[in-house]
Amino acid sequence: MEPVIEFTNVTKQFKGFAVENMDLQVNKGFVTGFIGANGAGKSTTIKLMMNLLRPDEGEVRVFGLDYATHEKAIKERIGFVYDGNVFYEGMNLKDIQRIVGPAYRHWDGALFRQYAEQFELPLNKAVKTFSKGMQMKASLALALSHQAELIIMDEPTAGLDPIFRRELLDLLQDIMLDGERTIFFSTHITSDLDRIADYIAFIKKGKLMFNQSIHEVAENYGLVRGSLELLDRDTEKLFVHVDRTASGFEALTSDVRKTEDVFGEAAVIERASLEDIMYFTNRSDVQHV
Amino acid sequence: MQIILSNQSKEPLYEQIKNQVVSAILSGEMEEGKALPSIRQLAKDLHISVITTKRAYEELEKAGFIYSIVGKGSFVAEQNLDVIREKKLKVIEEQLGNVIRNSQEIGLSYEELQDIMKILYEE
Amino acid sequence: MFNLIKRDVIIQKKQLLLFVPFIVFFILMDAHPVLIFLVVSLYVPFNALAFDEKTNVNVLLNSLPYTRKQIIASRYLGTIVYMAASIGVAIISLTLAHQSFTVTHVALSVGLFLLFSAMTFPLFYVLKPGYIFPIVMLSFFLFVGGGPALLRLMDDSLQGLIQFVMDLPMTTLLTGFLAVAIILYSISWAVSSVVYERKAF
Repeated sequence: MEPVIEFTNVTKQFKGFAVENMDLQVNKGFVTGFIGANGAGKSTTIKLMMNLLRPDEGEVRVFGLDYATHEKAIKERIGFVYDGNVFYEGMNLKDIQRIVGPAYRHWDGALFRQYAEQFELPLNKAVKTFSKGMQMKASLALALSHQAELIIMDEPTAGLDPIFRRELLDLLQDIMLDGERTIFFSTHITSDLDRIADYIAFIKKGKLMFNQSIHEVAENYGLVRGSLELLDRDTEKLFVHVDRTASGFEALTSDVRKTEDVFGEAAVIERASLEDIMYFTNRSDVQHV
Repeated sequence: MQIILSNQSKEPLYEQIKNQVVSAILSGEMEEGKALPSIRQLAKDLHISVITTKRAYEELEKAGFIYSIVGKGSFVAEQNLDVIREKKLKVIEEQLGNVIRNSQEIGLSYEELQDIMKILYEE
Repeated sequence: MFNLIKRDVIIQKKQLLLFVPFIVFFILMDAHPVLIFLVVSLYVPFNALAFDEKTNVNVLLNSLPYTRKQIIASRYLGTIVYMAASIGVAIISLTLAHQSFTVTHVALSVGLFLLFSAMTFPLFYVLKPGYIFPIVMLSFFLFVGGGPALLRLMDDSLQGLIQFVMDLPMTTLLTGFLAVAIILYSISWAVSSVVYERKAF
C-alpha cells in the first residue's frame, strides 16, 4: 500500500517531553484516526507532519517527498485544520480568502463560496465573532478549496456539538468518495472514529503504541472479566493492564486468541472499545508490543 | 438492495454486510451481473469506514459471490444455485440433527417438535 | 511572494484609512520633514508586524505553500516597497501643503528607517510574541530621542572622527550613510532568515 505520510525513526526532544523513534505510515485513500491522551504528543506529531517542527533525528516524508527540497510542492497538496483559530481574528472570511487563496496554485474560489454557503458561513463578519464550530467550518472550507489530496486535522471535533460532529463526519465521507484523498486526524472522542476511521494510530507519552486497521484492532484487543483466582504471574502476562476489585478483575488483552486458549469459558471476553484500549493502555506502565 | 447494520450485534459489521449481500443474491433479489454500490459509496451510505465495506466485498469475492473489475466496480457473479442449495441443505440437515438430539434428551415428542417448528416458521 | 507582500495591506485595510490623516497630523504639527518621512515609512510595516504578533500567524503562513525563506524575504522586500510608497504619499502631501523639504531629507529618513528596521526586525523572530511590540516602541523613542543626545555625549571622544565626517561633502556623507544602512539591512535579513529557519511553531 502507498504511504502518503511516512515517519522513519523520528525523534523530537523537548524539555520533559519527547516524541521518540516514531515510525508511522499513513495509507493513501483511507481515514486514519490518531488517538491518545491529552499531552501524549498528538499535536507535536501533527506539527512534525506539517514541518512546523523539524525532527532532531529521523525523516518525515509526505507524498514520498522530503521537506528540505519540496516544502512548497508538499504543502500545495495538504489541507490543514487546526485546533484553534490561526487566522487573523479581526478579519472576515472574504479577506482571509484573499490571503489564503492566492497561496495555492489550484485555489478554487467558486468551490470555497459553495462550501461557505453550505456551512452557512457569513463572508463579511469577523472570524472572532464565530462560534467554535463555525471557526472549524471556516478552516475546513479553506482546507477543501484547493484540491488537497491530504487533509490533516488536529482535534477537529473538539468542542463541537454532536449534531455538527455528525455533519462533519458525513462531509469527510463525501470527500473520500473518489478514493484519491487521505485524511489524518487527531481526536480524543473515540466515537468519531468508530464511524469513519479505517486505521487507528495510538500514541502514548510520545511513543506510537500501534497503527492498525480497525479490523486488526477489533481482532487483537479484548476486554476480559473473570474471578480473581484466574490471575497468576503467567496469566497476567496476557494483559496490558489489570484492574482488580473485590468481585473480580477486568483487564485488556492485546492477544484475544491466546487469551481465549488460556481461559476458555472461565472468563468473559468481549470486544474492547477504543476507549477501553486507551484507558487500560494509559494505566499500564509496562510497555507491550 | 437494503443493508441494515446493528452496532449492538456481536457479529462484526463486515460480516453483517457480507451475509446480507449473500442472502440478497441467493433469494434472487440481486441478479447475476448486477452492479453493487461502490465500496466508498456504500461506506458513506452506511456511515461506516471504507475498510469495512472493502473487507466485506473482499470476502464476498473470495467466496465467489461477486467479482470486481478495476475501475468499474463489483458485480454479482454467476451462481451455481444447485451447488449452493445442496450445501445449504447439508447444513440444515446437520442443524436439524442437533435439534432432534436435544429434543430426545428432554423427551420432546415428534409432534410437539413439529408444533414448535410450525409456530417459528410462520412467525 | 507577491501575495505575501500584498498580505500586509489586506490585514490593515482599516488602519490604512487613517494613513492620510496621520500624515496631515504631522504636517499640521509642523514636524520636521525627516521625522515625517520616517514615521510614515514605519506605518505599514510595523503595523503589519503588530498584527502578526497577535495571532498564530506563523503557524498559518508556514502551513501554506511558502518556504520560510520566502516569508522572511517578503518582510524585507515588502518593507522597502511600502517605504517607497509611503514616502511618495508624504511627498505629495507635503507639496500640496506647501511645505518645503529636500532630497537630503528623504535620503536621511530612508537611511534612518532602514537602520531602525534592520535592528528591530530580527527581534520579532527571536523574542516571544507579546514582548516584542513594547520593546520596539521603546527602542523607537530611544532611537529618535536618545540618538542625538548620545552623539552629543560622545562629542569629546569622537571629536576627531566627527570632525572628519563633518568635513566630508554632504553627498558623500549621505551616500556613505545610505550604503551603511543598506548593508546593515541586508545583514539583518540574513540573520532573520537563519533565526526563522530554526524556529519551532
